Amino acid sequence: MTAFVLKRLGFAVITLFAVLTIVFFIVRILPGDPAMAILGDQASQEALVALRARLGLDQPLYVQYVQFLGGVIVGDWGVSMVSGRPVIQEILKVLPATLELTIVSLILGAVVGVPLGVWSAVRRNKLPDYITRMASLLGLSFPAFVSAVLLLLVFAIQLRWFPVISSGQGTTLGERLRDLALPAINLGLIMAAYITRVARSAMLEVLNQDYVRTAYAKGLAFATIIWRHCLRNAMIPVVTVVGLYLGILIGNSVLTEIVFNRPGLGKLIIGALNQRDYTMLQGMMVIYTLIVVLVNLLTDLTYGLIDPRIKYS
Amino acid sequence: MKRTIGTTLISLLMAGSALAAGETLNIGMGSADAGKLDPHVATSTPDKGLLHWMFNGLVRIKPGEASPANIEPDIAESWTASEDGLTWTFKLREDVECHGDYGPLDAEDVVYSLNRSANADVSAFAKDYTAFDSVEATGDYEVTIKLKNPVPSLLGMLVPYHGGNIVCKDAVEALGADFERTPIGTGPFMFDEYQPQQYVKLVANPEYFRGEPKIKEIYYRYIPSDASRDLAFQSGEIDMIYGKQDQTWVERISKIPGTKVAVMKPGEMSVIHLNMTMPPLDDVRVRRAVAHAVNRDAMVQFKGPDVTLAAVSPVPEGYLGFTDDVPTYEYSIEKAKALLAEAGHPDGVTIKAIHTTLPGMITTMEAIQALLREADINLEIETVEHATFHEQIRKDLSQVTHYSAARFPVADTYLTQFFHSDSIVGTPTAVTNFSHCAVADDEITGARVATDPEKQLELWAEAQRKIMDEVCAIPIVQSLQLWAWKDTLDLGVEVNGSLNLSPPVTEAAHFTE
Repeated sequence: MTAFVLKRLGFAVITLFAVLTIVFFIVRILPGDPAMAILGDQASQEALVALRARLGLDQPLYVQYVQFLGGVIVGDWGVSMVSGRPVIQEILKVLPATLELTIVSLILGAVVGVPLGVWSAVRRNKLPDYITRMASLLGLSFPAFVSAVLLLLVFAIQLRWFPVISSGQGTTLGERLRDLALPAINLGLIMAAYITRVARSAMLEVLNQDYVRTAYAKGLAFATIIWRHCLRNAMIPVVTVVGLYLGILIGNSVLTEIVFNRPGLGKLIIGALNQRDYTMLQGMMVIYTLIVVLVNLLTDLTYGLIDPRIKYS
Repeated sequence: MKRTIGTTLISLLMAGSALAAGETLNIGMGSADAGKLDPHVATSTPDKGLLHWMFNGLVRIKPGEASPANIEPDIAESWTASEDGLTWTFKLREDVECHGDYGPLDAEDVVYSLNRSANADVSAFAKDYTAFDSVEATGDYEVTIKLKNPVPSLLGMLVPYHGGNIVCKDAVEALGADFERTPIGTGPFMFDEYQPQQYVKLVANPEYFRGEPKIKEIYYRYIPSDASRDLAFQSGEIDMIYGKQDQTWVERISKIPGTKVAVMKPGEMSVIHLNMTMPPLDDVRVRRAVAHAVNRDAMVQFKGPDVTLAAVSPVPEGYLGFTDDVPTYEYSIEKAKALLAEAGHPDGVTIKAIHTTLPGMITTMEAIQALLREADINLEIETVEHATFHEQIRKDLSQVTHYSAARFPVADTYLTQFFHSDSIVGTPTAVTNFSHCAVADDEITGARVATDPEKQLELWAEAQRKIMDEVCAIPIVQSLQLWAWKDTLDLGVEVNGSLNLSPPVTEAAHFTE
């Protein structure tokens, strides 16, 4: 088990190195000049040249690359070219907000998606199955920013249950829930749609297995068969999907954060892209890569918890 | 019981959502986060708009106006100028206090601030102050500015805008790099708190020399999504919002009861610059044909008559030095076709433009493309992402450049940056002369150093006439700045314009309910 984790972490370092290299060069291939983004379109050539020198952009690319990699290794991710503040501080300030939103959405997605998927499979080709399938298809095809605006229109404008802009600094449980509710529902329902479909098809496969028929024949209670024997065996594809779709969830969280005006990585990356803030973009890619690598590792480890037959070597 | 639990839960969720009203002003800005809040560095609309309420200049443009014709005292209560216009002496008020514990503002602060604006290492606007020879404190509350040569509008350079914002020496030195996160000024509102991606909070300055502001807190909230900003205004959470430059936005937001919409100058002028070095546009007849084929009235209708003005001169209307007494090219397809035939293009011409994908700009260009097609002028548009657009047009790659901009409202800035040969793109001194226009260099330079205001105005007018005669560029429309606020918010002044592009929230602003 330890050897497995160490091996995976070793691979993670290689992945991170590859991603950092690609990101470093891609952001520099992008047309657009950070100096102009910072100084505005009235800046003179002299001012632009001076700023480029100050930002180190006049150095040869390989020098910039070595400096960047060296910095990352010793934990110095540089300062934002636009705000002048350290990249790591900027990211860490808003990362908890994005993690909070993503994790709560994931839990919401699982809590809604798994039972619906099971119910749909058990009632296959009956009304509940049709309704669940339709609803999950709707959830999959709705862009996150459209559903976000619809949620705001209904719950913030018509019913006035929630504010349009979150205060972003809630200290009590009530305030935090209020800030989180609509964005988490928006993302959670999309996640639930994915999970429902996977849980349904995995359950359908398990329901046709011989041991399930045997369990019925033995006269086991219906609930025991479904929840204890079927669901546990159907969970591996669900966990795989949850891990895989976390990337999509983070992507959708960018849009959700913008529409609900929550602080988070989403607003940070949009600003950094618009202003060609190379250092910030690089820092954010490190964070995104780390998150994806960690989630994949956790997904792999979860398999062993669900199915004791799986051994790590 | 269920209903009771539901109601309790909702009340719990809503607790704390009500933002204090009456003395708290919530403003929604269309941006993701604050940039650099140092007034000598900030160039973006959201940052300038916020700093507008925190700083003073030696003089200011009357709140609610944007034209330098409305200059009035600010930190300086009076001033005199030598006959040659090269020496200016300002007598300062003695009751101006820096925010926080930084004490009274005196001549030393003003000298430090203006020298800082002229220092390219710390100021983005140093180039504007190259004519400054010296700035000296000639008394505790007296500052003398000596110039190397006359400038178009010295007072215009001393209004609280860009380098004209006066900073407090002790604060800048004590805060060092932190100054751009905690700006200290002398204006009606003081910096209090910054929450990343959420808001900057300002509080009333009780020591403000014009009196303590009636509004006690301003939350300047960063809301990049247009839809969310509008919804927050509709729900009443936001009292004032930055609008989209769009007729439909005005129509939609005006329908919300109790809303006041402000259409402010200076406008961003859309101009089509024609590269006079690239065939077929090197022939003035072809450029005139293009000008005849543009139907400006149709463009105003298309962009929205409530939010745009037709543009006739290469200098926007309302700028000091603007004249509409320039050669005009009435909309006439026949004349356009005749000019093309005369220039040897009886079957029409094809011209190419590199253009941004920015929605507000590309729709304008597509409308022009449709108009030109009527006159057999085929405008090919190659679209690229906005940052790429800025990079490529500065490399002199585009035959036709559509540029939309607002500048300090003195004719010199527009004429120098867009039509003086020093500013031609691709040269070491390049700014934004995309057309390679060099027909009015003498007038532009002459006006810059003219000491007689009448002579200066005449030179600027002549420059505008020459540029239009040669059709270096075709002015299309001016898009005005749009804001909306609740009609219970009384700003205390009539709002026609704002140099910093945000409405004037001064000590007089208050809620009537």
